[in-house]
Parts: sequence; C-alpha cells; structure tokens
Amino acid sequence: MIRFRYIIISISCSLILSGISTAVERFPPPDFESDYQQPTMTIPPPRQSFYEYIDAAVLLAALSLSSYLVLKRRSRRAIFVLMVFSLLYFGFWRKGCICPIGAGQNIVLSIFDRDYAVPIVVVVFFLLPLVFTLFFGRTFCAAVCPLGVIQDFVLLKPVSVPNWLESGLRLFAYLYLGMAVLFAATGSAFIICRYDPFVSFFRLSGNFNILVLGACFLVVGLFIGRPYCRFVCPYGVILRQLSRLSKWHVTITPDECVKCRLCEDSCPFGAIRQPTANWPTNVYSIAKKRLAFLIILLPVLIFLGGWLGTGLKSVTSRMHATVRLAERVYLEETGKVEGTTDASTAFRATGTDAKELYKEASDIRARFGFGGWLLGGFIGLVAGLKLIGLSVQRQRTDYEADRAGCLACGRCFEYCPREHVRLKKAKEVVSQS
Amino acid sequence: MKSNICNNSSKAKVTCSWYHSAVATSIIGAAFSLIVLTLLVVNFFQTSVTLPKWEEQLQTLKEEIRNNPDDQQLLSRIRQLDLQIRRNRIRRLDFSYKGTFLLFSSVAVLLIGVKWTGTFKKKMPILKLRSDLQDEQTRKAMFARLTVTICAVVLGLGALSLLMMHRVNFGGTGIEDASYPSMEQIKRNWHRFRGPGGSGISSFSNILISWNGKTGEGILWKTKVPLTGNNSPVIWDDRVFLSGADENKQQVYCFDAFSGELLWMVDVVHVLQDDEPAEVIEYTGFAASTVTTDGRRVYAIFATGDVVCFDFEGRKIWQKNLGIPDNAYGYASSLEMYQNLLLIQYDQGGVEEGKSNFFALDGFSGRAVWETKRPVANSWTTPIVTDIDGQYQLITVADPWVIAYDPTDGTEIWRAKCISGDAAPSPIYAGGLVFVIEPDARLIAIKPNGRGDVTQTHIIWKTEEGGSNICSPVSNGEVVFMLFSEGLISCYKVTDGTKLWEKDLRENFQASPSIVGDKLYLLDEEGVMYIIEIGSEYKEIAKCELDEKCNASPAFADGHIYIRGVENLYCIGNKE
Repeated sequence: MIRFRYIIISISCSLILSGISTAVERFPPPDFESDYQQPTMTIPPPRQSFYEYIDAAVLLAALSLSSYLVLKRRSRRAIFVLMVFSLLYFGFWRKGCICPIGAGQNIVLSIFDRDYAVPIVVVVFFLLPLVFTLFFGRTFCAAVCPLGVIQDFVLLKPVSVPNWLESGLRLFAYLYLGMAVLFAATGSAFIICRYDPFVSFFRLSGNFNILVLGACFLVVGLFIGRPYCRFVCPYGVILRQLSRLSKWHVTITPDECVKCRLCEDSCPFGAIRQPTANWPTNVYSIAKKRLAFLIILLPVLIFLGGWLGTGLKSVTSRMHATVRLAERVYLEETGKVEGTTDASTAFRATGTDAKELYKEASDIRARFGFGGWLLGGFIGLVAGLKLIGLSVQRQRTDYEADRAGCLACGRCFEYCPREHVRLKKAKEVVSQS
Repeated sequence: MKSNICNNSSKAKVTCSWYHSAVATSIIGAAFSLIVLTLLVVNFFQTSVTLPKWEEQLQTLKEEIRNNPDDQQLLSRIRQLDLQIRRNRIRRLDFSYKGTFLLFSSVAVLLIGVKWTGTFKKKMPILKLRSDLQDEQTRKAMFARLTVTICAVVLGLGALSLLMMHRVNFGGTGIEDASYPSMEQIKRNWHRFRGPGGSGISSFSNILISWNGKTGEGILWKTKVPLTGNNSPVIWDDRVFLSGADENKQQVYCFDAFSGELLWMVDVVHVLQDDEPAEVIEYTGFAASTVTTDGRRVYAIFATGDVVCFDFEGRKIWQKNLGIPDNAYGYASSLEMYQNLLLIQYDQGGVEEGKSNFFALDGFSGRAVWETKRPVANSWTTPIVTDIDGQYQLITVADPWVIAYDPTDGTEIWRAKCISGDAAPSPIYAGGLVFVIEPDARLIAIKPNGRGDVTQTHIIWKTEEGGSNICSPVSNGEVVFMLFSEGLISCYKVTDGTKLWEKDLRENFQASPSIVGDKLYLLDEEGVMYIIEIGSEYKEIAKCELDEKCNASPAFADGHIYIRGVENLYCIGNKE
C-alpha cells in the first residue's frame, strides 16, 4: 500500500513536470520576401494604466490583509498563503515591476529633474507600504514583498547570525540606499532595479550575472533568513525606522509574556529581543565616557564621510552616461586608448564639439561632488548613531519582537504557550503553571 | 530519528508513510531540478560557443558578397546560414524559457518536499543554559560596536582605494593640447606625405644604405597590398597606413610596422553612388592622395571626393564627400593636419571657374571648421603647415598663386603669383625660405614674412633652367635639391640659388627625394634607390634595387624605410 502511494506520487510528479517539457517548439518560418514586421520586444511589456490602478488596489488589499493576519488573526498559515499570492501576483505575474523598493528612485528623480514626471501609481506603490509600516509595522515585508517572499520560501535550515554581526553588516544597506538616491538624483541610473537579484527569476530571463547574483542570494538564503532584506534592501532601511514608530506592532505573545524562553530561538531573522539585566556597575563610568566620546566623534565621522564621498566624485560620476562618454572621448582624443565605442562614434556623428561634452561632464561631476558630500556624511552619521545606540543600555523585561528588525512573518506565534491558550489548543493551566 | 517516527503504532505508521512520501517528493524534485539545471547550463554554453562562430562566418560571407555582389551561390549560402542562426537562436531561447519554467516548478516541488519533510522532524525548543546575562549583554554590545567600527573602516578604506584610482581630469589645463599630437610625437613619426612638415627629411639617421630586393638582403618583410595606389606609406608608432582603390572599390589599410601583417582593411563605400564617376587617368589612379594621421585617427581621401576617418582599429568614425572633383588627371593632393584640423586642398577646374576650395574639417567629428575659396586652377600639390617665426602658416601651391593662410581660421596671410601650368610638386620650407616649383620652368624661393601680394617683394631668387613637374624639392637648410622626372638632379645654394652641381641619372622618377642625415635618397620608377652624399659635388654612396616598380615616395622610421611598390609594401632595415 505504501509502495503503491510512493509510485503514484512519483509518477504524478514526473508526469506534471515532464508534460510541460514536451510542448511543441515554436518557430516562425523565415520569409525574406514577405512584409513580416518584427514585433516590439519590451520586457516587461508596458501595462495599461487601468491595470496599474488594479495593481495599486491589489497592493492596498494585500497590505490590509497582511496587517490583519499578522496583528489580529496571528496566523502563520494564512500569512503563508498570502505570501504565495504575493509571489505569484507581484513577482511572476507583474514581473517584479514596479515595486515599492525601486519606486523610491522615480520619486527622487522627479524631485531633482523637473522634466521627469512620476506616475501617480508609482507614488502610491512607494508610499502605501510606508504608511502601513507607520501604523502596523513591517507587514509589507511579512507577506507582500515578492523579494522577501521568495527568500522566505527557500529558507530551509536557519542559521542564526549574531546580532552584533548583523549590526555591522546592515551598514551596507544604508550605503546602498544612499547610492541609490545619489544615482537617481543625478539621473545616472536606477541601481536598485539594475541590480535587483530576483527580478530575473520573476521574468524567467535576464542578465546572466544578475541571475548568478540572485542564485547566490537564494543559496545563502537556504541557511540565513532573507539575506537581501536584512543586509541589502534599501527600502528595508526606511521601513526599519518607520517601524520603530509604528502605532501597532506584532507581538510574540497575544497577551502577556510568561518568560518561558521557548521563543528565544524561534526567529530565523534574529529579531527577538531578550529581557535585559541591569547595566554592570563596574563598567558604568567607562560606558558614560564612551558615550560622551562617541557623541563628540559623531560630527568628525560625518565630516570624514563627507570628505571621502566628495573625493569619490570622479569614480561615482562614471555611473552617469555623459561622464562615461566624455571620459571615453577624452581618452580617445588624448591617444590613451585605441579604437572607438558605439557611443563615442555616435557622439562624433552629431558634430558636437568635444569641449561642450567635457563641460557638461564637469558640471555633472560637480553635482556628484555635492551629492557625495551628503552621501558620505549620511554614512558617517549612520555609523556614528549606530555606535551611540550600541552604547546606550535599554531596559526590557519581556521577550519582544524587535520593532525595527521584525519582519512580521509570524513564525514565533506558535512557540508561545499563551498563543496556544488563545487558540484553545492548550488549557489556561499551562500558562499558570 | 527514523525509529522515532516509524514505530509500531498505527498512527505512527501513517506518519511514517507520509514522511516517506515527503522524502520521495524532495528526491524527485531535486533530481529533476538537477537534470533541468544541467540541460540549461549546457544550452547556455552551447549558445555562447556555437552562435558566435556562425555569426563570424556570416560576417565573413557578408564581406565577401560586397566584393562579389552578383554571386548567387554566395547569396544563397548567406541566406541559409542566416536562417540556421535564427532557427538555432529561437530554438535555444525557447528551450531556455521552458527549461527555466521547469526548473522553477521542480525547485518548488523540492522546497515543498523538504519543508514537508521538516514538519516530521520538528523538535521542541531546547533551552540553552544561561550564562551571566550582564556579561553577555556587555560582551555583545562590545562586539557590535567593534563590528560597526570594522565595517565603517572597511568602507572608508574602500573609498580611499577608489580615491587612488586614475581619474580623467577634463577640467584641468591642456585639454586642447592633449587632443592632438605634440610636435615631439609628430617628429618621431611619419604622419603625412613626405613626413613632418612635408619636408621629406627623416628624423632618424640609422637607415640602411644597402639592400637588395632580389636576394632579400635588408628586406625585413614584404606584404602584398590588395589594391593599387600611388600614395605613400604613413607611419605612427607600430602601424603603417596606406590606401588603395580602383574604379569599383576604395580601401584603407593598416599594417603592423614590425611584422608586415595586414591588421585591418576597410572598404570605403562611395557615398554618391548615382553621381557621374570620377574621371581619372591611369597614371594618377583613384588613390593618389596619401593618408594622414594624428595618432588617434587615420584620414583618407580618394579621387571620388570621399573623405573618411577611421580609428586605429579600423572602425569608421565619419565620412564625407566633397563632390566629384573637376580635375584634369584625377585628384592627387594629399592631406595635412594642423592640431585637430584636417586640411584639404581641393583645387578644381580653371582659374576663372572659381571652383577651388580649401577645407578645414574637425578631425574629431568631420565638422567643417572653416572653408575658403581659392582663385586657382586644379592642382596636384600637397599643402604644408610650418612654423615661420612663431606663427604657423598653411602654404599652398597652384596655378597661378602660392598662397599662405592662417591654419586656424583660413585667413590669407600672403600670396605670390609665380606658378603656371599643372602644379604637382609640393612646397617645402627650409632655411627661412619657402621653395616652390613652377612645373617645367623654375625653382622659386620666397621669403614668407610678407603680407598681401608679395610677388614683387618677397621672391628672393628663382632658377631659369626648368622645373620638375612631379617630384617635390628637398632641402637641409643649406642646399636645396630639385629632381626632374627624367632623372636630372640639381643642387642649389639656399641663400642665393647658385647651382652647385647637377647629375643626370638617366632614369624616370615619380617619388620625391628625401634626406636622411647627410644623405640624399632618390627612388626611381624601377625601384632603385640612389643614395647620394650631400656635399659640394655629386657623390653616389650606394644603389639599392628593390626588384619592383615604385611610384610612391618612401617613408622613414627609426631604423626602417617603408617603400610602397606597385604591388607590395616593403620594410627595409637591419634584422637585429
């Protein structure tokens, strides 16, 4: 009987998977004499505005449902079902675009470039998750973001990353956010979209290097929960800060913490904070001095970061096509490189004076110089504030979900005995005992 | 673990069977994923290897069809190969798309299986023994500060290392100077007809005085030039440039200066296909004009009026057509460069027709920077740009005027009416004088420091014993040589035009004479180089045979001479 079931399952799986592979290959017969017109290849194809509004409505619905499931229903299973829907709809169906993570770049560009009009749907996509986070915590990350969901699904054997290590690594997400804003503001590139590691999966095609990058994230994600969300995602950086201020937030226990410690290791994202002990008296005075030193160090770090950032303008500005072209033309003109590129040849064909190009590139570089100051200063500020934050003791009496880091996935619920009582799976006596 | 699941109770048996199903699902999903992944990887590598090869073949065939446009068999092969490539690409794309879909499906099955399996292995949370919470807190905070510090330092060091990177500073000084070669660079090379300044003087004196084309002595390499042309080689560092053309095709060539390998050869398609064809006599040919280079790009002009610019990799940067020239024998003036300007003497028709022009194009883009009408008849001379008392002058020769312009904007500086007939010998500047030849009439020395019409005031001296009608003069600043096409070589004093000696070599010459150190190099039409010591009397040092007819003037580089025969390009030098 058991063997029979194995065979049935095996054959069913094989048939389902192989059946698709036997599909007839398409091939348009070539005809050199016909009036055959090449189809327009646009990936993803532009969506009609009607569908865009539907997308916005679906996002609103998904966020509302996610918030309800996380905060009210407290059901991991229901969250999981919503995750499946989000992956299929926002990921595979909508091919990952436009997503709230990348939409910020459009907003930034529209602020700095008067000629760039940002569609209302893009604004809605950017703002809705932020508003929901401000009220309900990171319910967008929980079950709506397809990038988070795909990583969540591949998490098989979670390995905990120590909090101290995570604090340092998260600095790179701030850098990524700063760079994304700088490049978007200067009209250079939308790097969040360009280096989106999962969009190739959603579109079932893409740049080979990005596919490899995405595969690497997924392989790492087998053991480390949502590595992109925790250490890279620039939108996550904003959501973290808003989530700290959220009015309602996910809690491990539905009512009171009995400090049973059962939830201690339940979070694969290291977002459960333990109750704290009092600060050791023997290090109190050193801690005060350290805090004072770090507060004084803060402007120094900002200045140092700003100085480095502005000094890098020659490097960062290469992200801008005009600067790259000007550099190429300059190198060709000064005989430092041989040959030409398509871009430099096309530029020559315009008959524009190279000096005009150099001037334009110099102006763009100057903008990068100022932007670099802000970016470097921002990174210095973040590093300084992190150090200050890590030198201040916080008092906690219960086991709590970290307001900033909790992705509201709902895994911890079932570890809490009070949750079992709420669901009437266990008797009240359990908690009382 | 298995024993925990599959015990003897009936409930456990059911659990055990589901556990096995989950494991089986995982295994099937994994195996299928692996197979599909392997096939996708193989498909990817096959696409990366096979398609480029076919595309290369197709490109070669396409180049062939340009040469043989009526070859139906070739056309059919191209179509077949094109079809094959398209078919293969679409098939592989389709395979890849479906494979990716399958891979996702199978990975989904794998994940479901593994997660399902995991549900059977769920363990109760194990509470760890607690260490001292105060210590742990302090230690973790310290580690966190340390990690943040390390990450900040890593970022800082990364930024510092990027700061050290080479940067292009186009806001700094010298942009304009850097966009064209320096005089030192020009002197090290042979960038135009008759080398720097069109003087015919080699910057290097380590040139062989003995070689033999028959035995191969002194011949470093010899490479066939695909199409004929009377233009001379041009040298920049390790490259030699030539052009060639016939009535159907125009080409530019780049050879490796050290091996003779033809690095690239590019067709120049005539842009005015429907126009009347250029009328050219066989003696001149369709590629009589020597190309020029500024070390960044190479420029060529043909008898059809096509001007073209290529980069050093043979990639066309721009092309223009100046109109089919109205020229009695076919256009033959070579190109000159001044800074970023490509200078083209485009003399046509008769004096009264007003068709002659001088164009200065921006070498970078081909844009016309200035253009000026010339009151002259069609000519075959090449202009020179030379530094005269700190001011650069562009000196041109045609019937009837020798005219000097400011090369930056085309403003006329001075003119002298002293030329008649079909002007072909180009001017030179030496010993403070400009030397021009009135064909079949005289050699003329002009002091180039005048303004306006200097015919009556600045012609210092002129000979009265005839003038060369093809070969340009050459001078070391003390004596000036004039070589007649029929083989008569005359030597005059620069200061007053006194004839020092003359010698009839009794051979025909088309190539202009050159000076290497204290020697005069004369290349006759039979390919024999006469090497003569420069002195107060004729003294032949050597006579070297190439064993091939020659019309073009030789080019000189460090230790090497480059000679274009009617069929081959030669490099002569010491093998060491």
